[in-house]
Amino acid sequence: MSKKVLLETRDLSVAFGDKLALDRVNIALAENEVVGIVGETGAGKSLLARSLIGLLPPGAERTNGDVWSDGRALSTMSPAELRNLRGGVVSLIGTNAKALLDPVQPVGEQVATVLRSHRRLSHRAARQAAVKLFRQVGITDPESRATAYPHQLSGGMAQRIVIAMALVAGPKVVLADDATLGLDATIQVQVLDLLVERCRTEGLGTLIITHDLGIVSQYCDRVAIMKGGQIVEQNDVSAFLAGPQTSYGQELLKAAKVRPTLIKGDGDGDGETLPKVGDGTRTGPKSSPLLQIRDMVKHFRGRDGGVVKAVDEISIEIGRGETLALVGESGSGKTTAGQCIVRLLDINCGEIVFDGKEIGNLPASEFRAMRKRIQMVFQEPYVALNPRWRVEDLISEPLSLDETVRSAADRRSRVLEMLEAVRLPKTLAKVFPHELTAGEQKRVGMARALATRPDFVVFDEPTTALDIRVRAQIIDLIRTLQREMGLSALFITHDLNSVRSLAHRVAVMRYGKIVETGDTSTIFERPGHDYTRMLLDAELPIERVAEKDLMGAI
Amino acid sequence: MGFSMTISDTWHRLPRPVRIVLARLPLLVPQMLGVIFVTFILVRLLPGDPVLLMLGNMATEESIATLREQLGLDGSIWSQFLVYFQNLIQGDLGVSMFTSNPVIKDLLERAPATLELITYAMILTLLIAVPTAIYATVRPKSIVDRASRVYGLAAGSLPDFWVALLLIFIFFTTFGIAVAPFGRIDPMLSAPEFVTGFYTLDALLAGDLQAFLSAGSRLLLPVITLAIVNSGALMKMTSSAFGEIWHSDFIQHQRASGVPERKIIRAALRNSLPPLITLTGFLFGFLLGAAVLVETIFSWGGLGQYAVMAVINSDYPALQGFVLVAAAFILIVYLIVDVLYEIVDPRIEV
Amino acid sequence: MSATMTPAETPHTDLSATSDLGRFLVRRPAALIGLTLLVLQILAIIFAPVLSTHDPMQANALRSLQPPSWENWLGTDVSGMDIYSRIIYATRINLLISVTAVGAAFIVGVPIGLLVGYYRGWASNLTMRVFDFVQSFPVFVMGMALVSVMGQEIWNVAIALGVLFTPVFARLIRAETLSLRERSFIAAAKCSGATDIKILFRHILPNALSPAIVQISISIGMAILLTAGLSFIGAGVRMPTPEWGLMVSTGSQQMILGIWWVSFFPGLAIILSVLSFALIADAARDFIDPRRAR
Repeated sequence: MSKKVLLETRDLSVAFGDKLALDRVNIALAENEVVGIVGETGAGKSLLARSLIGLLPPGAERTNGDVWSDGRALSTMSPAELRNLRGGVVSLIGTNAKALLDPVQPVGEQVATVLRSHRRLSHRAARQAAVKLFRQVGITDPESRATAYPHQLSGGMAQRIVIAMALVAGPKVVLADDATLGLDATIQVQVLDLLVERCRTEGLGTLIITHDLGIVSQYCDRVAIMKGGQIVEQNDVSAFLAGPQTSYGQELLKAAKVRPTLIKGDGDGDGETLPKVGDGTRTGPKSSPLLQIRDMVKHFRGRDGGVVKAVDEISIEIGRGETLALVGESGSGKTTAGQCIVRLLDINCGEIVFDGKEIGNLPASEFRAMRKRIQMVFQEPYVALNPRWRVEDLISEPLSLDETVRSAADRRSRVLEMLEAVRLPKTLAKVFPHELTAGEQKRVGMARALATRPDFVVFDEPTTALDIRVRAQIIDLIRTLQREMGLSALFITHDLNSVRSLAHRVAVMRYGKIVETGDTSTIFERPGHDYTRMLLDAELPIERVAEKDLMGAI
Repeated sequence: MGFSMTISDTWHRLPRPVRIVLARLPLLVPQMLGVIFVTFILVRLLPGDPVLLMLGNMATEESIATLREQLGLDGSIWSQFLVYFQNLIQGDLGVSMFTSNPVIKDLLERAPATLELITYAMILTLLIAVPTAIYATVRPKSIVDRASRVYGLAAGSLPDFWVALLLIFIFFTTFGIAVAPFGRIDPMLSAPEFVTGFYTLDALLAGDLQAFLSAGSRLLLPVITLAIVNSGALMKMTSSAFGEIWHSDFIQHQRASGVPERKIIRAALRNSLPPLITLTGFLFGFLLGAAVLVETIFSWGGLGQYAVMAVINSDYPALQGFVLVAAAFILIVYLIVDVLYEIVDPRIEV
Repeated sequence: MSATMTPAETPHTDLSATSDLGRFLVRRPAALIGLTLLVLQILAIIFAPVLSTHDPMQANALRSLQPPSWENWLGTDVSGMDIYSRIIYATRINLLISVTAVGAAFIVGVPIGLLVGYYRGWASNLTMRVFDFVQSFPVFVMGMALVSVMGQEIWNVAIALGVLFTPVFARLIRAETLSLRERSFIAAAKCSGATDIKILFRHILPNALSPAIVQISISIGMAILLTAGLSFIGAGVRMPTPEWGLMVSTGSQQMILGIWWVSFFPGLAIILSVLSFALIADAARDFIDPRRAR
């Protein structure tokens, strides 16, 4: 209770012209405290972070209230004082660390520059301090890393450098604005562990801005929920997890937990589980698998002339009506594997047998006939839709593969049918992709892939880049479609959360190879491979904390 | 295997700039061959007998036969090219029909005049365009920003020859401030002794202040003309190159880290060095083209004026020689630009 | 599953392109000026005989080098031809050459850019190397050489400029194509069974065209300047054809003597004409680019 408040806002409002972007925000950050701010895209989280260091984006203006640091309002500070505040008292860590570093300066110099901007130090001393800090943030061989340029670093390493940059001048408060977005889960955990640990050791106030309640439950003491520029709810994390006070908070929490029970292959008929393998398939004998991949190899020529084995002799089987999840981190080759199956890439070796027919080595012209039966849903919702085409034309494009749909009227009715299948209103048929929300775009992508009523669909990262609630809705929709259409599917993802409720079986991929395959329940309950365990540990499920608290209560 | 290892080892032990130069230099050979081939083809495009065209009215049976043999016209196109190439290697670009001198001699005599003009125009253009563009980007919506926008748009629409005439009319004819727009130096003075070929430098080296002042004042109007016309485009391109960097995330992040503004500007400048180097290379090309017109108006006696005389008199060997030299010059400028670019940008792997 | 999402915040109303353009022009006076200047030029082209006061090619030794007057609004040149009438008529020549050259370069350059951007291989590489090469020559020097070798005819000027501008369009379209072909909507189209032709012309081209359309206007301006420059040094259109650069040239000897109007007014015509295309290009860029238009 007696902890000293380091940074707080009092009735802070910020507007772009007439549009209010932050609405009477009150939040306080005390020493040795980690606070999470959670909200969906457009909630005003990043704007709040920038307000806290008095660096509003062009066009934004403070219209009410103020930010207080150590008893002083930011609006009363001189430009020099503000400059000292930034980085010296309050540091900001942003998203995509590589873009935050000067590409033509060695990273050691950059960190030293920040230090020298706040302390009177010799160039040499500043550099030594930077190198010392590099070691503390877990950078191996810090001396030589200090001379590296940002492009020579991995994403995780760059993020550590940015953290060092934020800590170097000894601030009292650290703001992390979606700092680990886009990093692999295992790296994300490492980076966050490190950041929070450093901040706790130094007794700093830490503000973690995120859309991921898992991160909040894992690292934060308190949480604030933002929506439409307002903080709608603020509470201790355990109290929030036990029972949010607002309906929006409840909605978010429910969406984040959307993976009720582990899927058992034999669903007992309640609506939450997957259909049994083989149920509802329309074609073929039930015994043989629909898709068999044997020793598939895909090589790329590397930049240095060497060969990169993106997919290295993998073998997969997918039964009729079965969903297999292919899980791996970036660079594991999972997306390449998916693209090989739909023949966007030609394989180097091995074979792909679909419904008894070898398709991996068919000439492109002959494979075209198969496209009606094999479709793909692409990753980024917006980029996968031609921005100059209307929804209606986008959905009907693959119908040229379907000889049963010929007339304009048939096409039209199929388009409307598909819109209904993905739960979109018919009125959206005439609309361009940029007029849709991300969730709607994702649905259009699915409607398009399903338009020819394929037997097999590859879903490439169907839930990334979506807000929590939208993600939950999409997962729901995919499950419904699996049941209604009896699809067989390959589910490519790095998001273990979504796998639990969608896949019958899981294959874990790393460095182009499949390290482990098994039933979903087996993989989650008794992972056989170290890497699988590492992936599972990197998950930040909300339950873990809730359960832990429960245990503590008992 | 072992051999190639040692080669790659030695290669990686070389200093980076040396590696860059060594990697880039061999590219010049095919480019030069390309230039030579294009200038060769250019004259073959002439409708009719090139010999008759090249000799013009002064053709005699004898001279036709000699030139025909000299150009190897009786052979195939490839053997003709070979002959042309051999002559070129020996420094033989043919004889100008208008001056009756070897073209190579004419060109060498005139090159320094053009180079001096272009160099000063280049310096002035850079001095006007780059600081203005940077100031306008750093202080958006300031007067400088607004003015530079208008100027960037308007200057691109100005015909350089018209600007030159207007400047002469205003500063020489009307107000009599400027010196007469004829040549590089007062005809009453003798040109300074040849050292660099730049009259201004040579005059200083010779300690001839009068010649220096005269050469300098003669340079004034043509250099201003070139700078007025070309600085608009450069200003626009610099603001877009610098602006892209200025608005990038890492600059924002430096500001959020409390780095002082002057250090941020310095970092942004350092980052915009590669595109600036490229733009400077382009500028050389523009100026060379513009010099053709401006030299004619100021009777500059450089390569540009020589080229115009060649066009007017259908002096094809001279025109061919000029195109060759101009292209070779640009290729060398681009080579330097590429090398400098790679040196200042650590992201480029060698 | 009642959670059909709320439609995007912006209402899905169809705004007609014309009303969009209208509002855009009101907010951009510079664009309006450019458009007005362009309309004036088109009027001059169509109604030249009506707008002119004299025969543009009629020499009159008695009225040589007359200053602007009631009789000759913008004065006369050495041979006594009326400058105002010649400027009006010259609009035809200058715009004809420039628009033809740029149009041809666009028509030839765009498909080349699409093909070399979409298909990798030695043919694409070679084409780009040739373009690099052509572009490495200073445009004016190259234009001068081409015109003087092909013969100093109006059409040869247009052809030479067309050749020089083709790589500009090819390069722009290629750059767009290179980035578009990696976008997943192209992969999605392939999965939907789209053929290469359809991918090139229905998927890539519409998305790649915007910068090239802006470039048309920029290039026309440049072509006008180059045409005038070529005529000025005597490589291009010849007397007595009315052409702006040539008209500046005929007065260049008198300028130094204080007879300014012979060169001054045709030069002004060049500036206004080039400026109109530059203003339109500038506005078009903002109008087309959705990031800046909003």
